[in-house]
Amino acid sequence: MSQITDAYRGLKLGERWDHAPKPVRWFVMLLVVAFAFYLPYLNILPFAYIRTDLTSSGSDWASVLFLIVVYMIVAVGLNVVIGLAGLLDLGYVGFYALGAYSIALFGSTNSPVVEAMQSKFGLSEEWAVPFVVCIPIAITMSLIAGVFLGAPTLRLRGDYLAIVTLGFGEIIRITARNLDGVTNGAAGITQVPVPPGPESDGRAFFNTIDAERWYWLALAILILIIFLARRLENSRVGRAWLAIREDEDAASVMGVAGFKFKLWAFAIGATLGGLAGLLFGSKQQYVEPNAFMVQLSFLFVAMVVIGGSGNIYGALTGAFLLTYLPERFRDLVDWRPFAFGVALVLVMILRPQGLVPSRRRAREFDDRREEAKEAAADV
Amino acid sequence: MIRSTKTWQAVALTAVAGLALSACGTTDTGGSAGGDEGGADCNFKIAAMGALSGPNASIVVPSVDGAQLALDQWDGGDCEVTLERFDTEGDPAKATPVATQIAGDESFIGVIGGAFSGETRATKTIYQDGGIPMISQSATATDLTQDDPVEVFHRLVPYDDYQGAAIAKYLLDEVGATKVFVVDNSEAYGEPLADRVEETLGDSMVARDKTEVGQTDFAPTISKMETAEPDAIMYGGYIAEAAPLLKQIRDAGIDAPFIGGDGLYGADFGNAVGEAGEGAVVMCPCAPIEGDSTFAADFEEAYGGAPGAYAAEGFDAMTIFLKALEDGARTRAEVQEFVSGYTGDGLSKSIAFDENGDVPQDQVSYWAYKNEGGTLTPEVEVKPEG
Amino acid sequence: MDFDALISGLDRHTLDGITRGSIYALVALGYTMVYGVMKLINFAHSEVFMVGTWTVLGVYTVLGVTAGAGIGMVIAATLLALLAAMLASAGTALAVERIAYRPLRKKGAPPLIFLITGIGCSLVLVEIFGQVLRVVFGRPFGRVTVNIPSVLETKTVFTIPGLDLAVSNTRILIIVGAIVMMLALDTFVNKSRLGRGVRAVAQDADTASLMGVNRERVIMLVFVLGGAMAGVAALLYTVQYDITKFDIGFIIGLKAFTAAVLGGIGNLRGALVGGLFLGIVEVYASAIWDSSWTNVYAFVVLVVILMFRPTGLLGESLGKARA
Repeated sequence: MSQITDAYRGLKLGERWDHAPKPVRWFVMLLVVAFAFYLPYLNILPFAYIRTDLTSSGSDWASVLFLIVVYMIVAVGLNVVIGLAGLLDLGYVGFYALGAYSIALFGSTNSPVVEAMQSKFGLSEEWAVPFVVCIPIAITMSLIAGVFLGAPTLRLRGDYLAIVTLGFGEIIRITARNLDGVTNGAAGITQVPVPPGPESDGRAFFNTIDAERWYWLALAILILIIFLARRLENSRVGRAWLAIREDEDAASVMGVAGFKFKLWAFAIGATLGGLAGLLFGSKQQYVEPNAFMVQLSFLFVAMVVIGGSGNIYGALTGAFLLTYLPERFRDLVDWRPFAFGVALVLVMILRPQGLVPSRRRAREFDDRREEAKEAAADV
Repeated sequence: MIRSTKTWQAVALTAVAGLALSACGTTDTGGSAGGDEGGADCNFKIAAMGALSGPNASIVVPSVDGAQLALDQWDGGDCEVTLERFDTEGDPAKATPVATQIAGDESFIGVIGGAFSGETRATKTIYQDGGIPMISQSATATDLTQDDPVEVFHRLVPYDDYQGAAIAKYLLDEVGATKVFVVDNSEAYGEPLADRVEETLGDSMVARDKTEVGQTDFAPTISKMETAEPDAIMYGGYIAEAAPLLKQIRDAGIDAPFIGGDGLYGADFGNAVGEAGEGAVVMCPCAPIEGDSTFAADFEEAYGGAPGAYAAEGFDAMTIFLKALEDGARTRAEVQEFVSGYTGDGLSKSIAFDENGDVPQDQVSYWAYKNEGGTLTPEVEVKPEG
Repeated sequence: MDFDALISGLDRHTLDGITRGSIYALVALGYTMVYGVMKLINFAHSEVFMVGTWTVLGVYTVLGVTAGAGIGMVIAATLLALLAAMLASAGTALAVERIAYRPLRKKGAPPLIFLITGIGCSLVLVEIFGQVLRVVFGRPFGRVTVNIPSVLETKTVFTIPGLDLAVSNTRILIIVGAIVMMLALDTFVNKSRLGRGVRAVAQDADTASLMGVNRERVIMLVFVLGGAMAGVAALLYTVQYDITKFDIGFIIGLKAFTAAVLGGIGNLRGALVGGLFLGIVEVYASAIWDSSWTNVYAFVVLVVILMFRPTGLLGESLGKARA
């Protein structure tokens, strides 16, 4: 393993990438994107080993890819909160749940909210809020939740924020489970709507069988989000986050309003979480509270940190590995959580800066390592 | 990005490592190639989908073993059938990729499952789209067949409404209770069950309380019981919480009989409750195996233990699919037609499915099992209707 | 909503709350001490507690004691189980420190990384009892609830006159045991030489090391002490609830951590206050409504308290925790 990492380190990929001419970069990126879209059909032998449906009891490759991309969106969003603004959010699953529940509550004919609207406005039993309208609803709901949670709590210091956000995630789940009259309670909501599209073979375009269409949709959204997130990172807001993360007091002296920018990070993170939840709920066509346990929040944080917090590509890598590997090695059945735990500890000890650290973070890390060494020498 | 020999070195090393890793797995590329040569003959696969790992596996694994036993005992002639086990951990989100995989692979002609209601709710539209018949051995949520039924879904167990009615009937008729305290776990299984018990009991219920999955301190519930002074206690939930609840009830000196639903059924119940659970009653739509059947002995020989929860139902589900093949069904549509019209005596009950996919209620029997010395022994049969 | 139920049974609910809260408080000590010294949330601490409960079961099984043993045997078995649980939990805590935290400290890793290795360690410990040991030894290990014989049978010892409140032997043991252990720990940290080292590092690690305090040893000490307290909590827990399970630590750990923050993380007395407060709030609220909202009550109370006292009820700092 170390041989491989050394080989890659020797390449100085990052530097070369920066110095490559613009057309080359565009071309390579186009290739990568094209390859990503082609993935569901990947069936050439040595590469096809990455498929998850090779064993007799494997799971559908395109569906797994879809889930990976959804978690990638989550990771990009959480990376804004944790990696860029340096706020430890242990309740991210709450926003994810809100996104999924928004589309279910307003878009499903099975939802008590829609039923109430039907009877109140005398609408037909087939009526529900159209999918396209559900998207802004979901985004607004998670955005509001982000601000609502952030406004009172962002003044708290790091570790207090962690427990409060964790509580927020739990409150969302328990509320969804207990409010039978609004959310159908623990039974959940079925018939969650899917995006509109032309019908083929008597099925909706986005149906439950052709998972690759869902994957392409999610991938397109992900690419757009990555593009926007990159822009954001290098914007004034991005620089402000950096300043706050490094030293909040110094930043505020320099005129960077800590609270305002932290709230921004929270709101943006919440929106992306909600969007991912919406995709998940819609593909699943079924939303229930137990899909949003606290443990999922921990998994999300692990994705960002393992990949290398602060770097979008690190977060993407983390999301990919932590979603893909358990699905690829389904044969291990009951051993997977154990292997997962061991892997978390090992990877972090061997590579504390994350698998794909941001360059700035890596440098900071080297500094701290030096400091730690010096401190050790002093004693 | 790939531009120099150094690069190729790195890529090659990665590839070698990757190949070495994946060489351990099986090498049948692409599930899509599955049944192309066997289509005309009789080479088929049947999927069993459920929580085969995780905390709830003990309620599911015996039923899949039962199905495997039925397959092993089957003389298929020209037909070659395999049972593929798909683990979902009981999580709907993990069940959907599995269901898509099964529905997309034409060599599967039937599904045994989903074992739990949540995953069934999440996947039944997928199977419906794929036209693949499913027979569930243990998903009991009422809405699966009553609120939005799909053609392909059948189940061998009666739904929660009946179970709730049966538990209430047992409480009224067998225990003679007039003040029942009903507790549930606020989850998709326990809450509707307790609701139905409450409905049937009417005035005979004295109080109701809700608890949580993962809770171990039930002091608030116990003090409510002390105030209510019930003459029977019903709990809708699973073993993990029933054990501490029951212990704390007995520790508080409350001797009222304790009755739970099929969520408590299984060998683990006795181990978990210990002495406090002596005499506790578990209601289950699973009939004890008839004396003249060799099923229990066969099962024990094959899997080294007495048939656990829903083993007989798993056996029956597989038997129905195999009979469809014997009958000449070779496509999903033919199997689906056969299953929907099936009538016959199964191990667990006489089987026939109504238009919603349920077994008729007069075929259903509930059994009260009493925990005696750590094992659940059949006590009495309860018919909810009549 | 049933406020009458709360008022009429106030004494009873308070006793229930204190019982529940005592265990939270003991587990919270582990979080708070580690945080005080290292500014680190030790996510694996919940599993340190879980290991303790299994140790109690192991001791009972080896001794072969069951319910209804003679009084001498009961006392001997309980003491032995207490000792074993403290040792096992302290050992686990120390192992977690060695494996998951020390290498990172040596590399000067940022705090987030400790969080992830903590979560990883927690998962590993859970799976050891849920999977690894089951494969090796079979039952009782595995993902099921396991009965622990109630060696100390619950009996009403006395009834508080006037209130008609029955107090059982197990409750006395839990409440008295928890308070005694906390007083002992508090005295140790505030009065002993080693304790002074702990306070010094908590106040200012750099200065402390200049003054000749060995930081590594203080960290080890803190993990051992916190682990031992979790071991005590484990014994008291099994006395009251008579069960264990591979993932039993998760919820207790979550609540204990909440309690630690509520009381003021890094503050020993804060852990006690936070634990008891949280236990009482939960029981009161469950009595008025029901237990399905328990976590919501707990977290809402936490947020409200933090709004007004951003560093918890008693404020943070292990270093300044005196009088």
